[in-house]
Amino acid sequence: MTLIVEMRDLTHRYGATLALDHLNVQIPEGAIFGFIGPNGAGKTTTMRILTTLLVPTGGDARVGGFSVLTAPRDVRRLVGFMPDFFGVYDNMKVWEYLDFFGHAYSIPAPRRAGLISDLLELVDLDHKRDDFVMDLSRGMKQRLSLARTMIHDPRLLILDEPASNLDPRARIELRELLKELRALGKTIMISSHILTELAEMCTHIAIIERGRLLAAGDVQTILRSLQPHRTLELRVLTAAERVEPLLRAQPDVLDVRFAVADALAAVPVPSDDQEAAASDEFAAPMPGLAGAAATLSADDEAPAQPTTFLVDYAGDERGMGALLTLLVANGVGISRFAEQSSGLEDIFMQVTKGIVQ
Amino acid sequence: MAEFNPVLVKELRGRMRGPSAFMLLTGYLLLLGLVTLLLYTALADSAGSELNAGQRIGKQLFIVIATVALIEVCVITPALTAGSIVGEKERQTYDLLIASLLSPWQIVWGKLAAALAFALLMIVSVVPLMSLAFLFGGVSLAEVLIALVGLLMTALLYATVGLFWSAIMHSTLGATSFALGSIIVMLLGIPFLAAIFTLIFAQGTTPEWTRSALFIYLSGAFVSIHPFIALGLTETLLNAGDSPFFSVFDPQGANITIPSPWLAYVVLAALFSIVLLWFSVRMLRPEPPIAKQARAT
Repeated sequence: MTLIVEMRDLTHRYGATLALDHLNVQIPEGAIFGFIGPNGAGKTTTMRILTTLLVPTGGDARVGGFSVLTAPRDVRRLVGFMPDFFGVYDNMKVWEYLDFFGHAYSIPAPRRAGLISDLLELVDLDHKRDDFVMDLSRGMKQRLSLARTMIHDPRLLILDEPASNLDPRARIELRELLKELRALGKTIMISSHILTELAEMCTHIAIIERGRLLAAGDVQTILRSLQPHRTLELRVLTAAERVEPLLRAQPDVLDVRFAVADALAAVPVPSDDQEAAASDEFAAPMPGLAGAAATLSADDEAPAQPTTFLVDYAGDERGMGALLTLLVANGVGISRFAEQSSGLEDIFMQVTKGIVQ
Repeated sequence: MAEFNPVLVKELRGRMRGPSAFMLLTGYLLLLGLVTLLLYTALADSAGSELNAGQRIGKQLFIVIATVALIEVCVITPALTAGSIVGEKERQTYDLLIASLLSPWQIVWGKLAAALAFALLMIVSVVPLMSLAFLFGGVSLAEVLIALVGLLMTALLYATVGLFWSAIMHSTLGATSFALGSIIVMLLGIPFLAAIFTLIFAQGTTPEWTRSALFIYLSGAFVSIHPFIALGLTETLLNAGDSPFFSVFDPQGANITIPSPWLAYVVLAALFSIVLLWFSVRMLRPEPPIAKQARAT
């Protein structure tokens, strides 16, 4: 695995405030690296150091093997930076904007002309070539900004909150564009507060808070490290009352829970005379799954209402197969048996829990 | 073929696109033309049938046009550069420039050259008006050339003053205020201090050291940093028959050769410009490790 970014004890202070505290992060080449943290965590400071806009007070960061301290110019050649704001020049056309930055990155004029056309095509702005930059919509400006970031063909793109203030359509377009860029072999470091978006595209993440690294690595590894057991989701159509006793008898089953939302959906609309009894059943604290399951399966003759169980399971895939076989062999009708995947939001909340509050 | 500085190209494109540059130039020339016309009307009426009336009108026209042009350059050039770097911060394009392969010197030089190019356009556009003086006579080519050099150096010095404040301040308004303020302080402060000094020593016996060569050079340098004084003194010395390049000063029998004030002004303005440019370039480097105030992360 080739590393494109290596931060070693990266530290930065703003006066008495410690913005980065001995940060050690590595980004493999070709990754989409999500940089996550609450406001004031140090994301922008890290990105500014990596783009050589800020000199760290301690430690070092290397981009493509070049130190931001000793070879900032070489680092700049490798990095394309898109800040969380879009700078607009008055009286400048779209092609002139790209031409200026191409020139600023020492790209010769004959090469710039073709490059600008290619980039405008990539970000779907070729029809806006001669329009003034300030007349573009916010989404278009963001795409143009991405084209500017790409003008010198950098290996690493650093995007600070690129989706902020974009409407849903522009966000989707930007996300698709980033996927295209990854397919072109670019490494993308991206910070965002919209974790669901990052979850869809990131291969690696780092979570920082108050300048300290809380977790880093590829998404699956972090998920496994934070959640050592699997959570299985079972959707049961018939014989739901047998599920819990069967599962609890298995040594690798840690816990069996009942999906409450599903239970509520499954509750038949009570008639006037049944209302009090039904409300009692759900208002009272659930004594146990057996009781809940029994309540739901009491009306066995009625059309089967699916029931969802969440099972914390410490076994492997082979064990999962055996579990399914056991349930089916005991006459349990199952329409769904799947491992529930935790999202980035779950990881974020778990890792930052207690420190944020 | 080598390309121009990208910042210069961008600035010129931005400045010359749209009506503002042409309106500024037109206003500048209209004002100069109006002053010239009014002055000519006044001088022509008072001249009567005097033999040397033409020469006198020519000389006075030249002095007034050069003075008005100098005032306008003093006001316009710092305003041209005061918004140049801080404007990048306000437009949020500053980081993009610094993170590019452009060196701080390229950025500063591009901004300065664009402002000077426009200032040069203003100065060149004055030449036809100034040349009117030749129709009347009484003005030598040396006087015109010295006036043009003086205008150019003033444009350079005051453009760098604007650039310096632009690199330091965080708003265009602040940078423009400080640039114009420091120029006003300089333009009014130097004559004020010179007048105070003269008043103090005019009351009693003049101390011996005020006649020393060192004092003469230092006081000459002090007043020569003022464009109006330097160019005005040069004009006076030229009218007195001195060389355009030096004068011989004779306080107490000891002949002291001093450079013509305009030459001293050119050298001092160049030196000050270099120092201000150096500071401006320093300000454009990436933030040093110890930042003075916390930045939102």
